[in-house]
Amino acid sequence: MQAVSAHFYDGMSAQRHDVQISVAERDMTLIISGPSLDQDLIWPLGDLRAQGDRADPQLTLMLHRDTGDETPHDAARLIVSDPDMARWIRRSRPALYNKDVAKGSLRKVARYAAIAITAAAAMVFVILPAMAGFLAKAIPLEREIAFGKTVIYQMERFLGGMSVNDLSCTDPAGLAALDKMLATLTDPQDMTYDVTVTVFDHPMVNAFAAPGGQVVILRGLLDTASGPDQVAGVLAHELGHVENRDATRSALRAAGSAGILTMLLGDVTGGAALGVLGEQVLNSSYSRDAEQKADIFAYNMLKDAQISAGGMVRFFSYVQDLDSDIALPMYLSSHPSSADREARARQIVQGETATKPSLTPEDWTALTSICGEK
Amino acid sequence: MDTQSDTAQADSQSMFASYLGGNGALFGLALKTSLLTAVTLGIYRFWQRTRIRKYIWSSVQLDGDSLEYTGTGTEKLLGFLIAVVFLAIYLGLLQIILFYFGMNLFVDPETNPELALGQAGAIYISLLAVLPFIYFATYRSRRYKMARTRWRGIRFGMDSAAWGYVWRACGFFILNIFTLGLLLPLSTYKLQRYMINRSHFGDARFNVNGKWVKMYGAMSHYFIGAAFMIAGGIMLYLAFDDITGTVQGTTFRTNDSSAILPGVLIVIGYIWAFVVGSVFYRLRTFAYLTNATTLDNTVTFSTTPKARTVIGILFLAALLMGVFAAIALPSLGAIVFTASSMSGSITPGPLVVIASILLYLLGLAIINALAMILINQPILKHIVTSTSVTNPDALSEINQRAFDKSADAGGFADALDVGGAF
Repeated sequence: MQAVSAHFYDGMSAQRHDVQISVAERDMTLIISGPSLDQDLIWPLGDLRAQGDRADPQLTLMLHRDTGDETPHDAARLIVSDPDMARWIRRSRPALYNKDVAKGSLRKVARYAAIAITAAAAMVFVILPAMAGFLAKAIPLEREIAFGKTVIYQMERFLGGMSVNDLSCTDPAGLAALDKMLATLTDPQDMTYDVTVTVFDHPMVNAFAAPGGQVVILRGLLDTASGPDQVAGVLAHELGHVENRDATRSALRAAGSAGILTMLLGDVTGGAALGVLGEQVLNSSYSRDAEQKADIFAYNMLKDAQISAGGMVRFFSYVQDLDSDIALPMYLSSHPSSADREARARQIVQGETATKPSLTPEDWTALTSICGEK
Repeated sequence: MDTQSDTAQADSQSMFASYLGGNGALFGLALKTSLLTAVTLGIYRFWQRTRIRKYIWSSVQLDGDSLEYTGTGTEKLLGFLIAVVFLAIYLGLLQIILFYFGMNLFVDPETNPELALGQAGAIYISLLAVLPFIYFATYRSRRYKMARTRWRGIRFGMDSAAWGYVWRACGFFILNIFTLGLLLPLSTYKLQRYMINRSHFGDARFNVNGKWVKMYGAMSHYFIGAAFMIAGGIMLYLAFDDITGTVQGTTFRTNDSSAILPGVLIVIGYIWAFVVGSVFYRLRTFAYLTNATTLDNTVTFSTTPKARTVIGILFLAALLMGVFAAIALPSLGAIVFTASSMSGSITPGPLVVIASILLYLLGLAIINALAMILINQPILKHIVTSTSVTNPDALSEINQRAFDKSADAGGFADALDVGGAF
């Protein structure tokens, strides 16, 4: 093949060398010669490399050498603009676009990945929960109550309330009945928190415990309950969360792990959806444990107050009917399977001896109309 | 093809840069690599970024020679994993502790409802904990990109000085808050100069001259936007005061006709400041700093990008991508609907779900690739082709610099989602 002109950069300076290149096919080498070079350079054809994904039409050649740089290539560059020569090299050099990954790269990646995953998992599953537990105990009670009130206030706004206590139900007879139920449940117990229970005028069938001993029942729960024991069971469960400081703990833990999760998932295409799923799984693994503890707390509380757990059986069976419409896999839903909980509640009921209703029929009527007559 | 002829000669001592990238090739590369990233659940993104950079870098030519990007996907993945270990520990501990102290600051919403509302936002103050790392990532990723850029085989590079940048940037962040952004040119000038003065091509160093006060002109459209917003705000305040007299909670009557004109003024001002104003500011400060930069005091640079052109590119891109979304999204919906109605049940079968996820990912990949050729590449092309180098012959005297390992390889920037288009 005839010699053609090319540009050469020696990797030491940015000075351009106008050179002639020719292929010595017998020796399998490329010979680079030019007036500004001290001597002819001889590049083995097998060591020629070029970069892929380039926009410029020239062929930029480099030599495969173990330099210790980011890629095993020598810094010298030979720029071939002659189309015939470029085509010949591209066609006849199968190793031209080799990636030349350094030895042991895969093992290095595996080792780094293992370290990173271990560190992140240790943070999310061990260190942060432990710190959350510690800090939840360390926070002064009045600060926790103030924080809890802010949480309730946020929840109230989220449910459509316009100002503080906008949704709170205030019927005096209803409030008195609610207090009676609370006293029946808490009197035999040694409670850490001075519990306050509020009913929000909202159709959702739900109840939640906010930090600092504050429990909110949504009106929907009272509307659908078959009797006072069902409300008492749910209330006892929420009081379990209160005593275990679950709300404070989960808020602290969520704050700690939120940044890590979004960081790990990176800017993946559709990463937001994965992030939500990840947080959901994370939360429920925490919650399921907490829910089980709250259930156990509730059974003990009901037993001490001589209230039947039959209300809880009915509540779980009601929730189960709701669940069957959505049918999330168990590890994705934040509560343990309702069927399991219903079965457990039935066991408890079978072991019960003397029970009394948690409220008199008059008080129950007052409680159900705590948000006013509809 | 003779690329020499593409480089127009401004005068005998000055030479314009040229841009070779084509839309078809870049679109294909971006689409293919986006899909690979999607199917590998994001892991391929390190190689995607590498391949896109190789294409973009090699599109930029000066005096017949292209820039070369020599970074690798593997080193980016390793750098990301290093960053994950640091950030997982730092972010986790700092955020939980800050949240704890944030919780301690709460007051009772019943006694002080207005304050409590603001405090819900105060919890996000923990996000500020990330700020130093964001600046750290900014400097480190720029250093990594420089260390992996070559021209004529000679490396670019940047000094190892990220922490100096971090505390300066944090200081200017606070200053800008307290001065309401009125000293923005000062922070832009100082921070950019900090980075440029620590940048090298081979053994030659870049150096910024000039004065920061000369960049105030770049803020003119911010001021115009602000004037509209302030005028609207004053009118709204006056009208509001007349009608209701007192402020009732957080509700006010937005449907009141006297609020329309001030509302329009505020919206115009907002768009003016944050679209026109920010494009204008970024281009003008970039141009000022580039024109004030020399390489070893022998080679100088000149650039004259036009804000009008860039805004035109953005407008056209928004239009075309809007049209794409308007056509693609309903057809996607129609496909899913048809498929699920054929399967004859209300809840979609697993095949339909998988098909719609794949179509969704394809849609995202197309949008990503469209943004590359409609926004990123045209803007870069405009800037590159309006830039010239004076006394390019002196570049021949420059010698090689040592290899910089730059071990995190932009990993902090990737983990914190910092960084520009490429």
